[in-house]
Amino acid sequence: MKTSYALNKVLTAVARQHAMKDRLSEADLAGHTITADERAALTSGDITKLYELGANPYLIRRIFRSRFKV
Amino acid sequence: MAEIVAAALTSHAPLMTGRPDVAKPEQRQRLYAGFHELQRRLAATRPDLLVMFVNDHLQNFPYSNMPAFCVGLCDDYDAPSPGSSAFMKIPARKLPGAPALGMALLEAGLEGGFDFAYSYEIDSWDELAVPLHFLLPDGAVPVLPIYTNCAAPPLPTARRCHAMGGFVGEFLRARPSHERVALIATGGISHWVGTPQTGRINTDWDHWVLDHIGRADLEPLLRLTHDEIERDGGNGGQEIRNWLALLGAVPGWKGEALAYEPVPEWITGCATVWVHA
Repeated sequence: MKTSYALNKVLTAVARQHAMKDRLSEADLAGHTITADERAALTSGDITKLYELGANPYLIRRIFRSRFKV
Repeated sequence: MAEIVAAALTSHAPLMTGRPDVAKPEQRQRLYAGFHELQRRLAATRPDLLVMFVNDHLQNFPYSNMPAFCVGLCDDYDAPSPGSSAFMKIPARKLPGAPALGMALLEAGLEGGFDFAYSYEIDSWDELAVPLHFLLPDGAVPVLPIYTNCAAPPLPTARRCHAMGGFVGEFLRARPSHERVALIATGGISHWVGTPQTGRINTDWDHWVLDHIGRADLEPLLRLTHDEIERDGGNGGQEIRNWLALLGAVPGWKGEALAYEPVPEWITGCATVWVHA
């Protein structure tokens, strides 16, 4: 199973602000070293792509809850 | 000698209490009835300690430091915290911990081949709060939680989790004190959380799991690989590690399913199981 530490580090930091979001902002990403694909998925709130890139699904769910149908 | 007087398995999901209205009323009522019957049986055994096999959801343990098995040494646990109380619609409360017993377990583990991690500060989520809302309404019994990594792969094998529970059971029975211990494991059964299949429930797999536990025929469950569980039970199904750990502590005991409801609105195959000799 693919894990991106960089992605999960960003998502953990946002989750700890107890904020749910539709997409992440440039400010959310400041100071993090991530790939262009990861950046695109985070800033567009693409939950499927985030999963494929190795983001933890619990973190995806916690932050991008509004993106899920259920 | 301490005695294991009760054992129970339940699912946990924040929506079970947070959004009761969205589930079909008959499903909600049957599941809640299962919880209430579990509570009645548990209370009748008069436990003075709860040992809980649970898991974190990336709530506290970060990817910079991820324990396979972690013993809680907190003086008390938020179940739920004031912050998550609104989401789960359960009043915030603190449950007393059992840090001295936790320390004794850690030391016994280091002597006996289980190098548990430990934590003095745990930010719990639904894994304690939702089941204990039903099972421990007065909140008077101290809780010793043992966290197993079910959410951030690679995960300990099913067989290793079962062996860990076996070690905990032997440790408890060898205690010179005379506690009456209840074991509770929470999590599962099938559910997909945050993945592209979010909302899926696999009732066939859930029944397969419950049937084997009902017969105390655990070998097929202990052989399950991470990938098989992910395919058939989802990432949430990985939480059956907690159930297998508990069952390791009570060899030969069988699980009687008091309720099983696949509740799509709560995105979880929900069960309550009483485990007995």
